[in-house]
Amino acid sequence: MESEAAEKATSLIKIPITLEIPIGPQHPAIHEPVLLKVYADGEEVVGVDIGTGYNHRGVEKLLENNTFYKDKFITSRICGICNTVHENCFVRAVEYISGMEPSARARYLRVLVMELERIHSHMLINAIMAEIIGFDTLFMYIMRDRELVMKAKEIVSGGRVLAEFHMFGGVRRDIDDVKKEKILDILKKLEPRLKYYRRLFEEDPTITKRLMEIGILRPRDVVSHGMVGPILRGSGVKSDVRAEDRYDAYNEVPFNVIVKGEGDSLARMLVRWDEALESLEMCRYILEHLPSGSAVVDERKLPRVFPAGESFARVEAPRGELTYYIQHIKGDKPYRVKVRTPSFNNIINSGFSYLRHSIADVPVILVSYDPCISCMERAIVVDLKNGTEKKVTFRDIAMGKVRLR
Amino acid sequence: MLEVSEIKEIEDILANYIVKKDVVKPNRPAFYIDANNIRDVIALLKQRLGDEAIYISNIVGVDKVSDGVIEVNYFIHLIPFSNTIVIKTSIPRDNPKIPSIIDLLPGAYSGECETYDLLGVEFMGNKYLRRGFFVPTDVTSKNIFPLRKDVKV
Repeated sequence: MESEAAEKATSLIKIPITLEIPIGPQHPAIHEPVLLKVYADGEEVVGVDIGTGYNHRGVEKLLENNTFYKDKFITSRICGICNTVHENCFVRAVEYISGMEPSARARYLRVLVMELERIHSHMLINAIMAEIIGFDTLFMYIMRDRELVMKAKEIVSGGRVLAEFHMFGGVRRDIDDVKKEKILDILKKLEPRLKYYRRLFEEDPTITKRLMEIGILRPRDVVSHGMVGPILRGSGVKSDVRAEDRYDAYNEVPFNVIVKGEGDSLARMLVRWDEALESLEMCRYILEHLPSGSAVVDERKLPRVFPAGESFARVEAPRGELTYYIQHIKGDKPYRVKVRTPSFNNIINSGFSYLRHSIADVPVILVSYDPCISCMERAIVVDLKNGTEKKVTFRDIAMGKVRLR
Repeated sequence: MLEVSEIKEIEDILANYIVKKDVVKPNRPAFYIDANNIRDVIALLKQRLGDEAIYISNIVGVDKVSDGVIEVNYFIHLIPFSNTIVIKTSIPRDNPKIPSIIDLLPGAYSGECETYDLLGVEFMGNKYLRRGFFVPTDVTSKNIFPLRKDVKV
């Protein structure tokens, strides 16, 4: 019977097993526009293409064409969230070439502002995660408390977001006892809030159900794909630039490297909360043990021209290892500057990590991208007589709008 | 920070390939090798140090117009040694081709695609190379590579 029916058939409905679901390139909560083309078989993700190039500003070319002093201000504009780590990395790369040494007080203040930045960056990412999994109120609470850190950063650097705190050989502003007390007061208010949010992420059954065992990454895969930062440490690999390079005051300020072995989305978020708490303790230690002496450099006495050389500076940005490579031949402009941000590795190389997960889990895995899934479903009607194909929606077939001859 | 014995260990592993040694400030050991040996060097490092011990931190192309070459520098991070080493290669500027290491270290995908798009270095064996990875179409349509020193963008 079936073979007879097949011989008499004039039309064939082919339902493609793979749906193409674009995520991005535009979404309000991500910093860099990026397109993820997700291919799904039913609910299961079978392939991901990552489309880049929506926001390439040619910063490296710009850095080559400007003097070191202008470059310092350009580098801190590469990223809004982690601007101090960018300027720290560039300034240190230049200091390695020129042999400048910042004072002990300047090194402590640099760490203070970078650790404040880490706290607010980790709070932001966790807030976005809360929003994605449907906890809008939690998002607002975390963002409200994040303002405390922004205020503390403003007290230290003068800028709520853009700090412009570093300068070759030191920093640009100092703090006095009044400011120190104000920041300590803010940290006192912040600590119970961070502990509360950490406990919430660890114990709330809805959050743990949504994040636990989602997006598990094996240490071997994370390392071979060059992923860095909390992703690396969330998969049990102990690698933190602060502990490895001991730059600035990290050789004197005590801290623990947070590592979690589970490798899932929850582990990555908890690594961030634990690091935020660790950073808070570091800020407190710095304020209580701030060395005396001068921190601010006299910018009029700084050299305009730097000696030739090559340097490679690394810094632990909130999202992972950030690197600057400078090659300088002569004069007041660098010959080549290469900036490698943590997201460059973490996002572009992450295509493999979504495979075999369901579409609903993609947003959770992609937490730092902030996803927006639009879906299209369609069938292809093939006319067997003349071999033509026509694409129609399932809805049109169901409503009888498509004539099958 | 790399100890002297650790630098010696890496030098021993790569003894057959090192043409010249140097240091990139502050303390990154740099090894010059022939560009055609890059795959052997990466495979050897992986084999001797283990799959979970090395990741590719960075691939940096530098256009050296006066020397007529493009430097391709691989920054390999060694997790057990807590430091990054630099593998330096140079290829002719008029025929910039180098074997791809994407199958050995998938993390090289981002660096190789970027270096091709911005500098025109062709990584042989990498099927994902394409113009427009980062560079906008108004630049790629002129068939120029923006980070080359003789190009005005």
